[in-house]
Amino acid sequence: MAGLLAGGAYAMVGVCVVLLYQMTGVLNVAQAAIGAFGTMVMLQLLEQGWGFAIALPTGVLTAAALAALLGWAIARFYADSTAQVRTIVTVAVLVGLLAIGFRLFGNDPRTVPSLVPGAGFRLVDVVVSGNALIALVLAAAIAVGAGLLLNRSRLGVRLRAISERPVTAEMLGVSVTALAVGVWAVMGAVTAVAVTAVAPTRPSNFLSLSLLVMPAMAAALLGGLRHLGGAAVGGVLIGVIEGAGTSLRQFSEYRQVLPFLVVVAALLWLQRREVWDATR
Amino acid sequence: MRRVDLMRSPAIPLGALAAVVIPLVVTMGMSSYWIYLTTSATVTALLCLSVGVVFGRAGMAALCPMAFAAIGALVMALANHWRIDLPFPVLLVVAGFVALPVGVAIGLPALRLRGLNLAIVTLGFAVAVDVVTNSVGFPGAQTLDVIPRPEWATTDSDYFLMCWVVFVGASAALSWYGTQRGGAAWLAVRSSERATAATGLAVPRVKLTAFAVSAFLAGVAGALLAGQLGQLNATGFGSLQSLTIFTLAVMVGARHPEGAALGGMLAAFLPEVLRQVGLPQDLAAVVFAVGAVIGLRSGAGGAAADLRAAGRRLLGQRARPAVASGTTPSGQAVGTTTPGPTPEGAAQVSVPALDARNLSVGYGAVTALDDVSVEVRRGELHALIGPNGAGKSTFVDVVSGFVRPAAGTVTVAGRVSVDGQDSTSAPVHVRARAGLRRTFQHERTIGDLTVAGYLRLVAPLATPAEADALLDQFGCPPGDVLLSTVDVGRRRLVEVAGAVLSRPSVLLLDEPAAGLDAEESQRLGRLLAGLPATYGLGILLIEHDVEMVASISDRVTVLDFGKVIASGPAAQVLRDPVVLAAYVGEEVPA
Amino acid sequence: MSGLEVRGLEVHRAGFPIVTGIDLTVAPGRITVLLGPNGAGKTTLLEALSGRIPATTGTALLDGVDVLRLSRRARAKHGLAHVEQGRTVFGDLTVAENLLVAAGRGPIGPALEMFPELRRRTDVPARALSGGEQQMLVLARALLGRPRVLLIDEMSLGLAPVIVRRLLPAVRTLAEEGMAVLLVEQYAALALSVGSDAMVLFRGRIVLRDSAAELSRHSDRLHRAYLGANERQPRPGDLPIHTKEPM
Repeated sequence: MAGLLAGGAYAMVGVCVVLLYQMTGVLNVAQAAIGAFGTMVMLQLLEQGWGFAIALPTGVLTAAALAALLGWAIARFYADSTAQVRTIVTVAVLVGLLAIGFRLFGNDPRTVPSLVPGAGFRLVDVVVSGNALIALVLAAAIAVGAGLLLNRSRLGVRLRAISERPVTAEMLGVSVTALAVGVWAVMGAVTAVAVTAVAPTRPSNFLSLSLLVMPAMAAALLGGLRHLGGAAVGGVLIGVIEGAGTSLRQFSEYRQVLPFLVVVAALLWLQRREVWDATR
Repeated sequence: MRRVDLMRSPAIPLGALAAVVIPLVVTMGMSSYWIYLTTSATVTALLCLSVGVVFGRAGMAALCPMAFAAIGALVMALANHWRIDLPFPVLLVVAGFVALPVGVAIGLPALRLRGLNLAIVTLGFAVAVDVVTNSVGFPGAQTLDVIPRPEWATTDSDYFLMCWVVFVGASAALSWYGTQRGGAAWLAVRSSERATAATGLAVPRVKLTAFAVSAFLAGVAGALLAGQLGQLNATGFGSLQSLTIFTLAVMVGARHPEGAALGGMLAAFLPEVLRQVGLPQDLAAVVFAVGAVIGLRSGAGGAAADLRAAGRRLLGQRARPAVASGTTPSGQAVGTTTPGPTPEGAAQVSVPALDARNLSVGYGAVTALDDVSVEVRRGELHALIGPNGAGKSTFVDVVSGFVRPAAGTVTVAGRVSVDGQDSTSAPVHVRARAGLRRTFQHERTIGDLTVAGYLRLVAPLATPAEADALLDQFGCPPGDVLLSTVDVGRRRLVEVAGAVLSRPSVLLLDEPAAGLDAEESQRLGRLLAGLPATYGLGILLIEHDVEMVASISDRVTVLDFGKVIASGPAAQVLRDPVVLAAYVGEEVPA
Repeated sequence: MSGLEVRGLEVHRAGFPIVTGIDLTVAPGRITVLLGPNGAGKTTLLEALSGRIPATTGTALLDGVDVLRLSRRARAKHGLAHVEQGRTVFGDLTVAENLLVAAGRGPIGPALEMFPELRRRTDVPARALSGGEQQMLVLARALLGRPRVLLIDEMSLGLAPVIVRRLLPAVRTLAEEGMAVLLVEQYAALALSVGSDAMVLFRGRIVLRDSAAELSRHSDRLHRAYLGANERQPRPGDLPIHTKEPM
């Protein structure tokens, strides 16, 4: 079934967006770009003859490092800024990263090799490709894994404490900055995997991969920017609907409009009750 | 004594000078390549101005300026394709007005939610428009239509002049609007939505106005771009362009026209400079990104804001000293300086200014207020005291409309009437318009406004003479002083003065003396004591300074643990041992 | 154990001085009570000591180290704990999880020993606890770091005196075991009943210092300090309270 692979990728990145938002209050608009950067690094290495075993981890680690750097910079220099200011920092970072990416990787679409070439199987009468399966399993694993980590481990307890009252946690001896940077790094790595998984199915240049952040944010909104499970399911849903649209020839070019429509619907639903921005 | 010194606002003469000199320089001295670049700079400056309205002024991150521009360009292409023969300026205005409702529609879904949601929906819109224009193309693209320039502006030089006139006109209009209540309302919404609503302004409407104007400006810019290019390419209006323009506008601080102009120049000329130096042109975007990131460290004012602050320092506009030289606030000038409505006679009116009955507020399992009834009459100063945590601020919040029932978490019961009119279910700004004004415990004036601008926002019906007289009486800084340069104590005084100036029926003052030293707070106390009689209003005063309360209040209500434990004439209540014990935290044997 | 020596502490907010010229000593094994009306700057003082807000100038020596130069986390590791005003529990976390945050790798059992009431509620989200239970939780949580100096900000806020009486013996025990406790309160009587030394803060300055016992006996001196009589110059014919002439 078309769209399951994309849906899995959207789910993964959507979960990353929600987690980062809950943890740090930042909506990381550059999330997919960071992951895409890792994917591009992997591609360069592959083209230079290195195998997957070297190229993929290097790409993933690059993305993790980039994300960690951004997270550290935000924690260090924008600790007292509002969430909106910090989000706009990520917008600026996205613009800068795109320019640098164009320089390094050019603008031509590349063909990205599948992680698991060829394999597929039939479920009832739906064909699920091997990559889609991996993406879905990974997305589920990450959503569930994150949930378990947050709710059943000491580390998770500390992370949840940070997201609720970071200063109080710090005064209790929790290394807030180190943990936050760690979360950013892991989210960067996961996003790189997600982007790498979905890249084979579309013309992939750095810009279009970076714009995967849009369906991811739509997925995040479907989880109310709070629920990991909601974001994951939302991501898969968006992917499936998009895939269904692709098969209808006249809509296929407009599939990227879908996240926008989803966002509008989600927002109209979320604001049924008036909310006072209590801090202002 | 307090005239507006021309040297204090050099912006106007400087701006007028630039508006005339620059086109002269361009049309006389530049080759057509450079004129073309300058035209692009002007159009980009207009786009930056658009972002400056919605983000720089109103504080909302709308990430899709080029999408609105695309709509403007679309109008031009359609008009050309359908052979609609309207004068070019008319088409410009039409383009703006077609983009306007789209802007409003995009803003609506995120209106009541936190600002980040707007970023998501606008980015989604930018991507959607990007996709659609790429797939469908602009009308007339297949037939290679060329969008014509007006006959009187076909040369690059003339077309530049037209664009320049549009930019200067838009800048002047925005600067003028900034001095009006609507423009100040944008700055207010950016600073504090609660404070804005408490002055009687409907926050959603203020936000939508900002969207509308922003989309209009971007639409016009897009139409100008269409005329300049002649043939339209979807890439020029893509989501990357939107994000880049937004980042640029943040870097330069596009709230002010000089910031927008700087943005336009950077966008057009920096790539040129890079090219001359042998560097790749797309690095310009990196410069914008770095600039924005650095600028965001000191708030989101951008380069133009820093320039203005430096200019102010040069002109000597610093924070006012604690005691205003020469003008001593006249604590006894009761009724002598300001003509006001004739007082209705001390407390003779049958309908109380404020009648709060049986108010109860619960947050989950915690009861913040328990069956509290307080009445404030016109001409009376009624104090509300009690230990920390007793519920005083909750009382003011629920009476002014900031505490709303929320299923499962917040319960509210009771009735609130202002001047006899039931306001129990009215939103905040409606209560403000009905005659209920309040100040905030953590002072909420608008730093970006001058003292006079703030007073105009809060009390639009007052005359400048009345405003000046009140400023004098309260010992506030003069009208042309920017509030961000004033210390907290004096900002509180301005907040109170503004609330008084709006001639409310009842005024809720939340710790107005916090941040004043002993002498100043005595002065304020004497001033407050005279207000009810002079203006015929009722004051509910929350204060911790028992001595001040004792000397100026008519009646006192004491709260403890959310309940009223005493209420009545001040002399009586403040000698009550139960009250004193509660305040100092002693236990009275049951 | 070591106490806290504060010298010349000043805290400004937005350029405006909130607290000035603070010299005080929190001695180990004793409870030092800091009283004063609201708006005096008591919370600001504690927040500057624990690092929640930056201090403008001054020193605060704990075991020879000026904690004002340390990061928030370093102050906590060095032995300074701050029980903040308003019961800052992690509402979404359970009682046990709240304790785990502070426990690092260690056990949470010792904290529950001090407040057996919490033992029955370990899986309850902190948001759902009563005010008194939340206050116990915040105290227990602060103790897990084994602090040498404990700053407590208005423990009694919003709690009925009978509940506060339940908490005070715990604080007294801590002092008896050698901890240096700075107890900030608006409710004078209860605090003075456990305190050794007392100070009154008024408009950012310390206006009265005495032993707690003396201050309990002479409550009129306390009232005058609360009303600011100690700050203003006395005027001839001064009565403690001037009231407005009835109309």
